[in-house]
Amino acid sequence: MAAPAELALLLEQRGWTAQPPTEHPMSGVSESRWIAPAHLVAAAEAAKAAGYFYESLTCVDRLDPHGAFELVITFARWDAPARVAYRVWTPKDAPVPSLAGVFGIAEWNEREAWELFGVGFSGHPKLRWLLLPDDTEFRPLLKSFTAPPPSNYDDSLTAPAAPQDERTDSHTHG
Amino acid sequence: MSAPTPTPTAEPLDTYTLNMGPQHPSTHGVLRLVLTLRGEKLVHVDPVIGYGHRGHEKMAENRTYAQFLPNNSRQDYLAGVIYNFAWCEAVEKLGQIPVPERALVARVILAEFNRLASHLMWIGAFLLDLGGWTPQLYTWDDREAILFLLESVTGSRLTYCTGRFGGLSRDLDPDFPRRAREVLKKLKDRWQEYEDLVETNVIFIERSRGIGVFSREQCQSYGVTGPSLRAVGVPYDIRKVEPYGAYPRFQFDIPTRTEGDAFARYWVRVQEMKQSVRIIEQALEQLPDGPIIHEKGLGSKKRLKLPVGTQYYAVESPRGQYGIVIVSEGGTEPYRAKFRTPSYANLALLPDVLPGYMMADIVAVLGSIDVIIPEIDR
Repeated sequence: MAAPAELALLLEQRGWTAQPPTEHPMSGVSESRWIAPAHLVAAAEAAKAAGYFYESLTCVDRLDPHGAFELVITFARWDAPARVAYRVWTPKDAPVPSLAGVFGIAEWNEREAWELFGVGFSGHPKLRWLLLPDDTEFRPLLKSFTAPPPSNYDDSLTAPAAPQDERTDSHTHG
Repeated sequence: MSAPTPTPTAEPLDTYTLNMGPQHPSTHGVLRLVLTLRGEKLVHVDPVIGYGHRGHEKMAENRTYAQFLPNNSRQDYLAGVIYNFAWCEAVEKLGQIPVPERALVARVILAEFNRLASHLMWIGAFLLDLGGWTPQLYTWDDREAILFLLESVTGSRLTYCTGRFGGLSRDLDPDFPRRAREVLKKLKDRWQEYEDLVETNVIFIERSRGIGVFSREQCQSYGVTGPSLRAVGVPYDIRKVEPYGAYPRFQFDIPTRTEGDAFARYWVRVQEMKQSVRIIEQALEQLPDGPIIHEKGLGSKKRLKLPVGTQYYAVESPRGQYGIVIVSEGGTEPYRAKFRTPSYANLALLPDVLPGYMMADIVAVLGSIDVIIPEIDR
């Protein structure tokens, strides 16, 4: 089992880290490194070999103004307060290598990032909706998403307005 | 929610597909399991989730930190106190908001009572799943005493919102320690009854021993935490590994077992309740006097702005590690909030574990991991 500093050193020695694309501090973790997408799978395998488990995946919409997504993947270990964050910067429409082959839970986390943000994952067994209804055509966690579109299942948005009740009307104005 | 995957079997003609849920009494919420069976034997399980998706993470981006306070207890409705405090503590951490001593200890007391209530509810529901009707009459009675106590402090029975940034909204009244000790005494008198009623029951043992065995490798691959992980023999508990709040000042043990089956998960939870009682007893002894909320808390600063940064904060919920990620861009609202809920990982593991067991074992395994569907769906 490797301490966070050892794992971070290994990432740097192997040349898997990337230059920070933004200045955005990270706290609550022992170490955090920007990982080049091309080396993400190898870096995750190194974390697994060092005794870490896949804890969480947070996708952040940085489309405006960067035109990119930021993925924050945290790994933790059972025996010590050890948490390592891998941060991945990926331009819109560029798929990220899937970690589903390394950690089982990545399959669900990546489906979620795909349906909520539209981030693609190459090598994922099957990207399909997890929390949203099948065939949902919008990405609700994008900053550009503001209002729910009319739904096929709910006609309340398109139904004609109910006739005005005069008593309610006079009550409001009175 | 998603369509089931095609049946992954070479002989599709001798298997059949069965939907368990989304409306099913033993799925503990709106969960659908698409089962592929050969006779009574499970070949493949595909959990379909999302029926209770409310978009908590999107909601967080559209309101101030304080306005989001009522949301967290609605993610896991059995651990509302713990989830509510977790949000407060994550914000306090990023905003470096001080919390008075009295509030820190009071949070531990309320959170541990919440853990007890959650475990009691779980024992009753789990045994009911396995066909034992009587135990729930005892556990619900005990849980009711705890809810009554929590209600006297928080005003709520289920979806608590008593945490504020910098303390609590209400102080514990002078009579609270006496009432709390009465509840603890009632609970301690019950442990033996639970053991006699449950742990020596042949039907319960037969239905839980060797059922739904998790391995360490599976737990690492899926990020399983909480009692499900401790039943595999890993003493991972955020209260010990990354101590937060007032936890470092109290003595308690982390019960573990090595079998990793449904019985081990039951045993770990029962032992954990005894440890929670131990923590509360010490906390009541050490409860300091003083203010319950810091002057820099929400009371004096309603439009809280947090510095730029990403904060990871974790607490131990009755089901495992609850992690909160707050991404702040310096505004009064989170730029992004992510909730890492324990049941998400614990349920995702099932397709790996269940094949090979009998159909009736699903109920035992699903019950034993204590899934709370709304925290999975968020």
